[in-house]
Amino acid sequence: MANVLDLRRRIRSVKNMRQITKAMKMVSAAKLRRAQERALAARPYAKMITSVLESLTRRVDIIDPETGNLRHPLFATRPEKKVLLIIISGDKGFAGAFNSNILKTAFQFIAGNTDKQIDVEAVGRKGRDMMRRRHPAAGYTEQTDEQGNIRQVRNDRQSYVEVTGDHPGMLGKLEVSRVFELAQSVISRYCHEEIDAAYIVYNEFKSVISQRLVVERLLPIMKIGVPQITGAVEPTEAEKERAAEAALSAGITLEPIDTAAADDEARKFGTSQVDYIYEQPAEELLNGLLPQYVSSMLYHAMTESVAAEHAARMTAMDSASNNASDMIDAYTLEMNRVRQAAITKEIIEIVSGAAAV
Amino acid sequence: MADESNQLRVRLVTPERTLFEHVAGAVELPAKNGYMEVLYGHAPLLAELGAGDVIVHGGPDGPDTVTHYNVSWGFTEVLPDRVTILASDALRPEEIDVPRAEQQLDRGLEEWKQAGESEDAYTEALRVIAEAEAKLATAAEKH
Repeated sequence: MANVLDLRRRIRSVKNMRQITKAMKMVSAAKLRRAQERALAARPYAKMITSVLESLTRRVDIIDPETGNLRHPLFATRPEKKVLLIIISGDKGFAGAFNSNILKTAFQFIAGNTDKQIDVEAVGRKGRDMMRRRHPAAGYTEQTDEQGNIRQVRNDRQSYVEVTGDHPGMLGKLEVSRVFELAQSVISRYCHEEIDAAYIVYNEFKSVISQRLVVERLLPIMKIGVPQITGAVEPTEAEKERAAEAALSAGITLEPIDTAAADDEARKFGTSQVDYIYEQPAEELLNGLLPQYVSSMLYHAMTESVAAEHAARMTAMDSASNNASDMIDAYTLEMNRVRQAAITKEIIEIVSGAAAV
Repeated sequence: MADESNQLRVRLVTPERTLFEHVAGAVELPAKNGYMEVLYGHAPLLAELGAGDVIVHGGPDGPDTVTHYNVSWGFTEVLPDRVTILASDALRPEEIDVPRAEQQLDRGLEEWKQAGESEDAYTEALRVIAEAEAKLATAAEKH
């Protein structure tokens, strides 16, 4: 049996750990609040882009009647042979099963599409590390043509899954310009027929108790404003309860913030029942709007994923603090027991010593 | 002059947040093919924006004040009583990072030189240059 001193030392170290996990929980709660605000602030723009595109596609045929061509290559659908998978995971650990759940969903997607060639674009450090361990990176060679221009040409595939790029640190300081760059690279790959479809795997986050892991199709665009969710995993009731408990103790509201009024206002953008003068021809407008639309979908996914990551970390740290408290209780009980046993033993020794005299 | 009843509601929205929302007398917009000014009662219009200044006349600080915003790329919807500007990026003049804009200009010029035959690279370079020049112009005007 451990002695009192050992137990006291152990209690002290667990207490220190509880301090740390409590602090991490509060930090995550604050970051979650900020992430939620950011997601909220980004809503009007996303809604407006969606509504103006909706109204534009309603007024203008997607197929140009004169030439019979599609007005924009992003509307083109091809049989899915080459697929791009964008995995949005976290940059850091200590967030419970957050990262492993995302990766599990991503691996399920890959395992379910073995007949296709899959390119992986990893956003977030954890996802990148895992993907790099499992799958080879895409190789490129430089070629110089007659004019002396240097071109990057992709090598032959080594396996059916290859990592084409990663963006660690993108989520830490989420900037629209970087997300837009990623969106543009995805769009240009789609337009050059390097990929036939693009999917994102991310953790959707409405509020602490309503979130799920989704696989969403980004491209081709079938219908504006309707997310094409091809797979979703809801958390279990027990997990939801746990998250709700953690949120309450950290002072986070559970209900999603009411955005109906602002959304309605935003939805009016570009949809008035009047004949607009279009400064530019529809093709040009679509050319400018569609990349913004794709980028805003990606940005939306990332803001939600960031919020979900902080929520997951907050829940995990709350559990850790609770476990630490339980452990301290158990150790304290044991320590008292050991101390009493020692005292009893000493008394017995004294009494029996006195009796012997 | 504009009175209470015929004022424009102006909104400037970026992907990150709503930057400006208020009634105003008039707005100048940097449309792709040149600047235009919008007053109350303008015909409905949908236009793509280039890089330049959005100038709001008569913002929250009074009817005679002028508020500048440097915007780069976006869209605008004009309705008789409402103007909504969706900008990819918008900055107050004092927020502009001049050294960074100069770097951007240099990068744009470099890209422009190297663009060669590629039309995409050429357009992209021109975009970068236009954006940087607009930022520098706004910053120079202010100081």
